[in-house]
Amino acid sequence: MSGPGTIPLAERRWSLLVTALAFALPVVFVLVPLAIFLGYSFFSVDQGTIVHTLSLGNYFRFFTDPIFLPVFWNTIVLCLSVAAICILLAYPAAYFLTTLKGRWRYALLMLLLVPLLMSYVIKIYAIRSILGLNGFLNKALVGLGILQEPSTLFVFNMNAILLTLTLLLIPFAILPIFLSLERIPQVLLRASDDLGASGLQTFLRITLPLSLPGVASAASFVFVLAIGDFLTPQMVGGISGFTFGRILYSQFGTAYNWPFGAALSVALAVVVIAAILVGERFGRNRGTAI
Amino acid sequence: MGLKKLFLRMAAIGLGIGLMTSAALAANLRVLAWDGYADPDWVKDFTAATGVGVDVVFIGSDDEIWAKIKGSEGQDFDVFAVNTAQLQRYIKADLVSPIDVTKLANQKEVLPRFRDLTAVSGVTKDGKVYGIPFCFDSIGLIYDTDKVKPAPTSMSVLWDPAYKGKVLAYDNGEHNFSFTALTLGYQDPFNLNEEQMAAVKAKLVELKRNVLSFYTTADEAQQIYQNNDVALIWANYGQQQVKALQKIGAHVAYVNPSEGALAWLDNWVISKGVRDNAAAEKWIDFMLSKKVSGELSERTGFGNTVTETGSAGGNDKLVWLNNVEDPLKRSDMWNEIKATP
Repeated sequence: MSGPGTIPLAERRWSLLVTALAFALPVVFVLVPLAIFLGYSFFSVDQGTIVHTLSLGNYFRFFTDPIFLPVFWNTIVLCLSVAAICILLAYPAAYFLTTLKGRWRYALLMLLLVPLLMSYVIKIYAIRSILGLNGFLNKALVGLGILQEPSTLFVFNMNAILLTLTLLLIPFAILPIFLSLERIPQVLLRASDDLGASGLQTFLRITLPLSLPGVASAASFVFVLAIGDFLTPQMVGGISGFTFGRILYSQFGTAYNWPFGAALSVALAVVVIAAILVGERFGRNRGTAI
Repeated sequence: MGLKKLFLRMAAIGLGIGLMTSAALAANLRVLAWDGYADPDWVKDFTAATGVGVDVVFIGSDDEIWAKIKGSEGQDFDVFAVNTAQLQRYIKADLVSPIDVTKLANQKEVLPRFRDLTAVSGVTKDGKVYGIPFCFDSIGLIYDTDKVKPAPTSMSVLWDPAYKGKVLAYDNGEHNFSFTALTLGYQDPFNLNEEQMAAVKAKLVELKRNVLSFYTTADEAQQIYQNNDVALIWANYGQQQVKALQKIGAHVAYVNPSEGALAWLDNWVISKGVRDNAAAEKWIDFMLSKKVSGELSERTGFGNTVTETGSAGGNDKLVWLNNVEDPLKRSDMWNEIKATP
């Protein structure tokens, strides 16, 4: 019985199905795997097989064993530095882009994003040969007379990881900053000018505050991507650049200790989720204030 | 000329197909092996010589071999290749049958170190032979002949402060514990007690301070070598790695350390469910012929048990890889070593 104004039954069924599917996809492919992961973190391993009895042993070990927390903390500091450097470099670049007119702006933006199309591993290989002792960077510095002899300053250590991650992730910082700068209404800038503000004043009191949401999301993007990376530290970190991602990786590879690896991943996930929440909070607050 | 060749080839292919189908009707020998251990031309020669057809299945990991053999309780294959570290668990699970070495004429001609199989750790149990070694490689030391003088004879050179920051080591706790144990003079590097573990750990922390980086793949080591000042490489990939480096013009040489080099060794074994034991023995004997063994080394770069290769000189001491006492513990301690500032 479908009277006027009510949705026909068949159509209602259809829309129910679509809604169910829309919810099922993220549940099946995101939430369920995450839940399984969380479950694993309470198991343990004995003689190479996983024991399915619940315990907090893995978490206890993470907090009490002297090696994990310091590495965890160092990794967070490293990734915060990567985020900070990325922002410092990306902001002027994005600002410069917004000053360009017409198609130049987007052509240049595309050029900056081209590295994202390349394989991650190939980029790391390339950067590693640039940073090497006989690499381009050292050769250039020696050639220019800045250094007497090749320096080991950026070879297989924390500096190398910092440089490599910054290079790899900077496009992720440019994009959100550029978008937030582009969204600033030109009338505000003109009004500021009309009212007698200098260029610097306009930047500090209008442009910068209005672009902070973009900066916040750029920072959280870069931080999250950097902290989840194990390949870059593995390949350029050498002996002193030991990061949390490398410990995690070894739990799933050579150690075959999935439960402990899962517990370490949960610790990492907590930090990542916190970073995303912080980024989103700042991003939205300022955004809606316009 | 060309036409004649073409006809001949077509005829050969036709004959091959004919043989395959006719052989498939009889009970074929079922071989399970790594790629490179049962090349099509050898299989063809073997069938031509013995009249036994062969079905080869290739595998990609130790776990896969175990899954395939254990899954059918040995009934699905007659002969398969497995390394010394793995073989004991097959013997324990009663999945392999003892081999009558007197049936293998070519086994008498192998290199001296493989002649007495009771002296090859891992291939015998209770006096019975279960595995016939045929392919191996050592994990030795690659050194730059321009930078390292005199030529090193022991892995202890990796700790030499003269080469600080010029050493490439391999990122694997299990192997690193084993070779360091050998360097420290321990008898059984695969079964270390608490005290020995602690000593090896301390020694590895020292090694770390001399190392430029820990690599994982041969390519990676090569790239690091090209862009940095590297003098010594702990060569997990043995001969393949040396040859690749020499190909790009590096002045490098290879040495097995005098305290003993870790080495892997693959063996042919006969499964419990073998249908025709005589055919399986013929296959193993055929693989031990000078021709096939020589070609195996030429094609793969690994050492064989019949002809001399670069993998090991006649007097080199080789220590066949075995299962370690506690892989998880070694891996955890390796992380601790890497996290030590």
